[in-house]
Amino acid sequence: FDNTVEPGSPGRQFQQFPSDAKAYMTLNTSILNYPCPKTPGEISVLRVGSETSCTKDKNRPTCNGPLPGPGPYQVKFLALNDSGPVAETAWSEPITLRTAQPLSNISTAPSNHSAAMIAITSILSILFAILLATLVAMLLCGTEPTCGSSTFSKPEEVRVQRYNTHHVYDQPAARL
Amino acid sequence: MAKSDDGIRILQGLLIFGNVIIGMCGIALTAECIFFVSDPHGLYSLLEATENDDIYAAAWIGIFVGFALFALSILGIVAVIKSSRTLLMVYIILMLITYAFEMASCITAATQRDFLTENHFLKQMLERYKKSNTDNNNDKRRSEEVTKTWDKLMLQNECCGVYGPFDWQNYTSVFRITHSDADYPWPHNCCVTNAQGSPIDLNGCKLGVPGYYHSKGCYDAISGPMNTHAWGVAWFGFAILCWTFFVLLGTMFYWSRVEY
Repeated sequence: FDNTVEPGSPGRQFQQFPSDAKAYMTLNTSILNYPCPKTPGEISVLRVGSETSCTKDKNRPTCNGPLPGPGPYQVKFLALNDSGPVAETAWSEPITLRTAQPLSNISTAPSNHSAAMIAITSILSILFAILLATLVAMLLCGTEPTCGSSTFSKPEEVRVQRYNTHHVYDQPAARL
Repeated sequence: MAKSDDGIRILQGLLIFGNVIIGMCGIALTAECIFFVSDPHGLYSLLEATENDDIYAAAWIGIFVGFALFALSILGIVAVIKSSRTLLMVYIILMLITYAFEMASCITAATQRDFLTENHFLKQMLERYKKSNTDNNNDKRRSEEVTKTWDKLMLQNECCGVYGPFDWQNYTSVFRITHSDADYPWPHNCCVTNAQGSPIDLNGCKLGVPGYYHSKGCYDAISGPMNTHAWGVAWFGFAILCWTFFVLLGTMFYWSRVEY
């Protein structure tokens, strides 16, 4: 990697990467953007691939456009001043980007039925079956008057009639 | 026959007590199911989009069954006091029909709950969230409902995706068709927002810097209410049915002893 080539010159343009340019330079910034001490509450992040508007714009050779494929890629930092490069880091380890699986791979088949569902279904079915059997037995048995040991009579409605009693001493006319 | 009379009196008392309990439980079941049908968490559209909304059908049945139980319990009390064979038979038959419906509701709620796994919601979210080229009106309406529900979920519960924001990175989706990976690695609803509703640092959110995006998955916020709904309908119905079983057995025994 020849670090004397100017950023944005042919052979280092984003739009030529990776076919005609083996590397491109982007995210150019000045030292003023990295003050010490840091402004509290701000974070400095460097995100490669954030600018989507200049992907095809030849006037922006240092465009920070999205990477064209899954990789693997390597990155390094380069510090320059007016006279040329002053410092650079080593190449990073190869970075392979995430590949998305097709969504049809997601299996929505439910796992085994839960124990609760099996318990509810089986117990309710048994209870219902017992009820139906008892109903049938009761109907068959109920048609024969001698079925069962004892019956009880309905509560009789006893009517008490009020009688007007004539008491002898209630007739005042007889006393006279 | 004093002893037998006492025994019958006790049975009558027990049956009346049993029917009172059934009546009260019927009202409680109706109230509970109305609460579930009213969908306070707004999750119905997620289920309806995949036509897996039988949990709501179970709750609807529960409303009517609860009311029927209440009415039948009154009939039962009257029938036991009058010791009328016809009334008791009518009561038993109608109760058995109600029993069958409630059984269907409980089993449906319990079975359908098992279908609602994380992958189920994940697949639906990836297939419908922010879908733009819809086939017909029905599809369009469902996708819009799902999008609205997910946006509300992610905002209110401060979560993203089903397992997490990387759901949109791990799988293809209709969202990815219209929103490029560079601009939207995950929807901007996953970003932590300030008081005005805009993300506090969009780049931090896109990169996944902790504190600038919601890394929690939304499945807990969905499965919590869903579980309460399903188990509330299923287990309460089961308890009512167990109690009703004994009352019905007692009633049948009482019927066979009534002189006609």
